[in-house]
Amino acid sequence: MATGSFTRGMRSVWRSLRSMRTALILLLLLGLGSVVGSLVPQAPSSPARVAQLFADRPLLARVYDALGFFDVYGSWWFTLLYVLLLISLAACLIPRTRGLVRGMAARWQPARDLEGMRHFASGRVEGSPQEAVGRARRALRRRGWGVRSGGQTALAAEKGLAREVGSLAFHWAFFLLLIGVVIGRGFGFTGQATVIEGEVFTEAHASYDFPPREGRFFDEAHRGFQVRVLDFEVSYRESGLPRDFVSRVEVIEEGEVVRTEEIRVNHPLGHRGVKLYQSGYGWAPMVEVRHEGELLASDPLVFVTDDPNDALRPWRGAIKLPGLAPQVGLELQLLPDPAAFVAGRPMLEARDPFLAYRAFRGDLQLTEAQSVFRLEKERLEEYDSGGVALGETVELPGGLEVTFRDLRQYTQLLVKRDPGTGLMLATAVLVLVGLIPALYSSRRRIWVRAMPEGDGTRLEIGGFALQRKGAFDEEFGRLVRDLVPRGRVGVP
Amino acid sequence: MTEASNTTFGVALALYLVAMIGYLHNFAYRRPAPLAAARVVAYLGLAAHAASVVLRGLAAGRVPWGNMYEYASVVGLAIVAVYLLVVERRVEARRLGGFVLGATVLIMAASTMVYVEPGPLIPALNSGWLRVHVLAAIVSSALFTLGFVFTVLYLIQDRRERRVERGAEQRAPAMASASVGSGLPHDLAVESDPQEGRATVTLGPERGNGHGGMPGRPTRRGRLPTSAALDDLAAKAITFAFPLWTFAVVAGAIWAEQAWGRYWGWDPKEVWSFVTWVLFAGYLHARATQGWRGRRAAVIAVLGFAALLFNLIVVNLVVSGLHSYAGV
Repeated sequence: MATGSFTRGMRSVWRSLRSMRTALILLLLLGLGSVVGSLVPQAPSSPARVAQLFADRPLLARVYDALGFFDVYGSWWFTLLYVLLLISLAACLIPRTRGLVRGMAARWQPARDLEGMRHFASGRVEGSPQEAVGRARRALRRRGWGVRSGGQTALAAEKGLAREVGSLAFHWAFFLLLIGVVIGRGFGFTGQATVIEGEVFTEAHASYDFPPREGRFFDEAHRGFQVRVLDFEVSYRESGLPRDFVSRVEVIEEGEVVRTEEIRVNHPLGHRGVKLYQSGYGWAPMVEVRHEGELLASDPLVFVTDDPNDALRPWRGAIKLPGLAPQVGLELQLLPDPAAFVAGRPMLEARDPFLAYRAFRGDLQLTEAQSVFRLEKERLEEYDSGGVALGETVELPGGLEVTFRDLRQYTQLLVKRDPGTGLMLATAVLVLVGLIPALYSSRRRIWVRAMPEGDGTRLEIGGFALQRKGAFDEEFGRLVRDLVPRGRVGVP
Repeated sequence: MTEASNTTFGVALALYLVAMIGYLHNFAYRRPAPLAAARVVAYLGLAAHAASVVLRGLAAGRVPWGNMYEYASVVGLAIVAVYLLVVERRVEARRLGGFVLGATVLIMAASTMVYVEPGPLIPALNSGWLRVHVLAAIVSSALFTLGFVFTVLYLIQDRRERRVERGAEQRAPAMASASVGSGLPHDLAVESDPQEGRATVTLGPERGNGHGGMPGRPTRRGRLPTSAALDDLAAKAITFAFPLWTFAVVAGAIWAEQAWGRYWGWDPKEVWSFVTWVLFAGYLHARATQGWRGRRAAVIAVLGFAALLFNLIVVNLVVSGLHSYAGV
């Protein structure tokens, strides 16, 4: 009993999935879900705004959270709708496709009730019925009709099959497009790499800024090639608006340079199925720190800004020296163009760059997770502050020497592999190609029957259009005039 | 150059307004002279508008659709161009010029609120795809707007036709019993004019019982083309717009893949173009489904247009996303 009702239930679910209306409703629900995603802040892209909402309106935020509204596109219900849509689409398209194939192969029955059709005409023509039907067959073929069946004295013809073919192509392409999204997500990865001028980035899991987002089915090793950033350049217009961002890079495979390329906005570099995009940039001062003649730090440091669009702000970074007792931390601020800073103009280029520092000592708390760009100051006390210009050295109390050796830039590259893009492009093109006949052509059918009448032939023509019926009125009239040239045409 | 562009923009706006009044005068009083004049003025407005757009492009040194003001201006240009050059070839559509120009005037007037001086684009927008993707979005938006105007007129006319039908049904027995001025508010008569494809409704003309406006003349609301003709116009506009919109979305995805490293990222602009696409896909399916064509389909088309507007206005100005750097 229970299984019987379960089977019945499943069968009715299946039946409703097979209806195009269900597919449309599912699509509409996906649209509604994405609207939620566009209005409620999304945790993956703007975690700060989500945290803000939790602080401001905790009850609402908890409700949103429970409903998955903070990560709509990763929520169980969005995935469920997506899967149901795929099933529903396949369930309506498979029978429709089968129907089309069968319909194309089948021969039609000669129609009996021509007079009952929406369009009907009859008239007298010369010659025998066989000759008349032969003439009609040639005339219809000339006009692009597919003559489907007939015989000596009757025929059936169809035009506008492209509509159904195009419509099916469109819908299948849309189906594959949805599959392509899944493939891209599941088998690809996205990562971000920050590379200072002159340094080398290796395309491997561990070398990204934070663990790359890898698809569920991504089990391939990374590609392992290397990219050396020769230089990075940002050019500005007179108005201060950036004109272009360019990273000049060398691609290195097994120690050998295989290509030298430029990566700029809108012009990514593709190599071995991986694409590298220009996505950000910043300053990387090279600071040497010596303690009693011993070199403690000399690598260029990545500096950040709180708002990359605001070139009025100084850039900031930090140096942590846990080897000293007590531990020492330097909080640094970089002014790429101090004169512009003082004048309140944006600092677009490096002109006599200046590094301001605040020195702290105490406990850096390095056992705790912390940002490399700032110090945890609870157990630190400030003991000095000052500044140093490019190429100069300053001596801090306690024998610490700080030299501002060089100022470089770093580039941020988005590194991405998406094996679904080829399929996506192909299906997107097919969506467009299928759409045109699906919307603009119309299916219409016509039957012709001939019977002897006196020394001539009586020709009967009936037909109908499934779409664009108004336009068929005229076409049918022209056809009849063509098939019954001088005969008397009688329209009931 | 910028000044000349702004001047011609103002001239176009003024000419459209004058033409709109002419079209509406003809719509209300059926005199041929205002219609002929309105059409000439509308063409002059179109020429001035085209000049404004071209000058804007020359002033900025790029295609003239790089920000919201320019976008709206070119949408207006496309609406008027499509209406004058294509839609008006159907004679009964000439009566709708006032509504089409009214919508255009609204769009253009609103666009001045987000006016910015012409200037270069940020690097991410600097791509050949800007030409294709945005132009397709502009032309399809213009066609959707035309579809919206015709759909609203369809809904008005359809409602009236239904009321008239009901009125005729109710009146038949009343006439038989010769009870003049029975409980009905108005006495209605319908004449249909198959050649022009419209129905005219007359308000109590024979009896002149004081209810109607002008005895012997069609009422103002009786001058629209038939609901069937309006529905057909709306469907044609939307059917042309839909593949173009699809193309705009696809081109946008290809560009996004090039510029941002992903073809689809549920950016608010992408979300709302998807919603617009889904709604108009729903409209096209509804029109092919028994029981859904007509009013229900029309309501879906209105929702689709609302999503299009939301995407243009709210997403650009309020919601933050990658497209928002297109700025005002």
